[in-house]
Amino acid sequence: MLRRSLLRGLPGLGALPGLRAGRAAAAPAPAMGPLRFSWPTNAGPLHPHLYAPNQMYAQAMLYEPLVRYVEGGGVAPALATAWRAEEGGRAYVFSLRPGVRFSDGTPFDAAAVVANLRALLENRARHAWLELVAQIAGVEALDAGTVRLALHGPYYPTLMELALIRPLRFASPAALRPDGTLAAPIGTGPWALAETRPGQHDLFRRREDYWGPRPALQAVQVKVLADANTRALALESGEIDLAYGTDQLDADSFRRFAGDRRFTTAISPPLATRLMAMNSARFPTDDLAVRQAIAQGIDRAALVRHVLLDTEPAAETLFAENFPYTRLGLRAPAHDRAAAAARLEQAGWHLPPGGRVRQKEGRELALDLCFVGSDALQKSLAEAVQGDLARLGIAARLRGEDSASYLGRQKSGEFGLIFTDSWGAPYDPHAFLGSMRQPAHADYQAQRGLPMKAEIDRRIGAVLVSTEEAARAEEYRWLLTTLHEQAVYFPISFLTNKLVYRAGLGTVPFGGTRYEIPFDQILPRG
Amino acid sequence: MTGFALRRLLSLPPLLLAVSFGFFAMLRLGRGDPALDYLRLAQIPPTDAALALARLELGLDRPLLAQYGAWLAGLARGDLGTSWFTRRPVLEEIAEFLPATLQLAGTAMLVTLLLGLPLGFWAALRRDRWPDHATRLIAFLGVSLPNFWLAFLLVLLFAVTLGWLPAMGREGPASLILPALATATMSACVMLRLVRASVLGALGEPHLRFAAARGLPRRVLLARHVGLNALLPPLTAMGLHLGELIGGAMVVETVFGWPGLGRWALLAIGNRDYPVLQGFVLVLTLVFVLGNLLVDLAYAWLDPRLRLEHAA
Repeated sequence: MLRRSLLRGLPGLGALPGLRAGRAAAAPAPAMGPLRFSWPTNAGPLHPHLYAPNQMYAQAMLYEPLVRYVEGGGVAPALATAWRAEEGGRAYVFSLRPGVRFSDGTPFDAAAVVANLRALLENRARHAWLELVAQIAGVEALDAGTVRLALHGPYYPTLMELALIRPLRFASPAALRPDGTLAAPIGTGPWALAETRPGQHDLFRRREDYWGPRPALQAVQVKVLADANTRALALESGEIDLAYGTDQLDADSFRRFAGDRRFTTAISPPLATRLMAMNSARFPTDDLAVRQAIAQGIDRAALVRHVLLDTEPAAETLFAENFPYTRLGLRAPAHDRAAAAARLEQAGWHLPPGGRVRQKEGRELALDLCFVGSDALQKSLAEAVQGDLARLGIAARLRGEDSASYLGRQKSGEFGLIFTDSWGAPYDPHAFLGSMRQPAHADYQAQRGLPMKAEIDRRIGAVLVSTEEAARAEEYRWLLTTLHEQAVYFPISFLTNKLVYRAGLGTVPFGGTRYEIPFDQILPRG
Repeated sequence: MTGFALRRLLSLPPLLLAVSFGFFAMLRLGRGDPALDYLRLAQIPPTDAALALARLELGLDRPLLAQYGAWLAGLARGDLGTSWFTRRPVLEEIAEFLPATLQLAGTAMLVTLLLGLPLGFWAALRRDRWPDHATRLIAFLGVSLPNFWLAFLLVLLFAVTLGWLPAMGREGPASLILPALATATMSACVMLRLVRASVLGALGEPHLRFAAARGLPRRVLLARHVGLNALLPPLTAMGLHLGELIGGAMVVETVFGWPGLGRWALLAIGNRDYPVLQGFVLVLTLVFVLGNLLVDLAYAWLDPRLRLEHAA
């Protein structure tokens, strides 16, 4: 029994069938105590407008947006109950929800919105990556319950970007200092930060005076656990109740929990896309035939089955079809090694007698396949891809490097193939496409060699300011179809949130975006 | 003895300076741009403008020597800089995390001594009999097992399967047991082998045969003539173990969610948080040097020949 339990729990051995649980793990979660969750670091100072070390899941617990993102690309009322576009999309007027208070008792009103947005705009350079911040011309309170947001020009994703977890959410004006710093993390959300112990945990308590439906849980304790194996063991030993996220648990551990009746597991709908970008501006992937052969020659289904252990669905397109403007019926070419090899032959890439790497005009068909060396998943994927390419006669040199060097390659374009992710909801597709115009991005570098790159950039610019729905859909159709046909991406899988919790905990739903964990919607059993 | 201690203490500032400069240069001359990592962690796209702003904020826009000079000037004021990731003073974070690491390393050192010394003696006194073979096998296994793997095994057995001890965290004395065992096992096994060899060496000394011929009881022979002499090499090793235990705690702290300096530093490595890493190396050097100084003083106290050498 003991040996079996040890074997079952060992990382990498957990998938052995027939192994049963140890008895300590059978203890149910405490009924009345806080829900125990874990995260790799503390929540941070929790400034609603700022980035690291503020953790997005915690910012989303404390701070609320004017409008909330709903799956599929829609928005729903949050702190604003209604809104209307004016001047052809050059301004938006929001009616604020009455009766909302921050957790310090300060009323949420138009003055609070204006104070927050002005503090944000004072620091505009920091948020320059977000197009909406650049587009905001000004903000004014029309009355205590109405705010008008003026833009420099029409920008159709305005509502989507207002739904982001940061930087466009609201702290209590009483806590917001004139220089934009924060005295205390005070928001309008259903939770308030009750305690932080560095390196140990953060404790969030339910707000009894929350304007919306009160969460069923009284408190959430988030323990600091940096390692995924430790998290799996903590879940198993009953020291945490829930694991939720894209990479909170490795695929192997997730499959093990899925086969254990004491735990409930679930996989969310697609939230973003795991991709490899192919560099159209660099030899040999500057040859469309090579890119198309790679797209056809890599066995995507095998990657998903054997490396990702079916924890993510295979991706055939740049964006999943549950994102706006992406239901175009595009499909990736079916995996066909012989057809891929024939395509290379036709394009003049031949195997020399006795050789294993194809050549054309004396140059070998060899490329750099770049990934983060410490990322075990990327490494496994890269090795599998290298094997598939070798069978086609393409030599892939694996370049596993530290994350800064890897980012440097994305920025400079020194790659043949490189791993990357799309940004996920609510950034996809508009913000991710918008970033394709920035030379700092792998996407720009990958597309730089396309004959229609200037046209792609022009149309991306046009789609973001378009005001007519049909014209916008048509622009998206052209853009996504062109990128698909030009094979500058090899979509691998759709990133999902994985959820594991003790079966006795109750019901845990998924949030609409990657970093929003709906603690307020968890319904404990009994 | 006091002069010896003073000389060693006076050598500390230049040593710290040399270590800090060497480490600073190593970090800065490595590949990659920490500003890129900073933006990655902040989930901000690395546009040229964002990169320039990040470099300005982190002080990376200045020449390397100016960056080191600024860090040194801060150090003179007792300021080790601000963490690039948490935006908190490094010294404040060290003060927060150091006690947990010292507690873990101190307990692990105690476990090392409590296991290594008696088992080493036992094995040597029963040379080539079953206690010797058994302890040598245990020592062989203990030295070969990586501490993170041992840590997972301990958690699986005592936390997951038996449910006797917590799997993680630092809440009460029970939570210290598994991390201390995982940290100490390798050192205890090294200590065991060292003590065994040292006792065997002392047992073969001619003065011991003469003392036995004088009719001294076995208890006195072992305690005074073998024990004291055999303690000297393990004492030297203790100084080395100190660094090893604190270094080993990096991985063990991560596995057990122990809120110490090691896990903090490991996170900083992942985040390329240079001010934190510089502060960590400085503290580690200080602890290592002071630990070895204490060992040297204890050595001189135990061995009269050394005291006499210094006096002469």
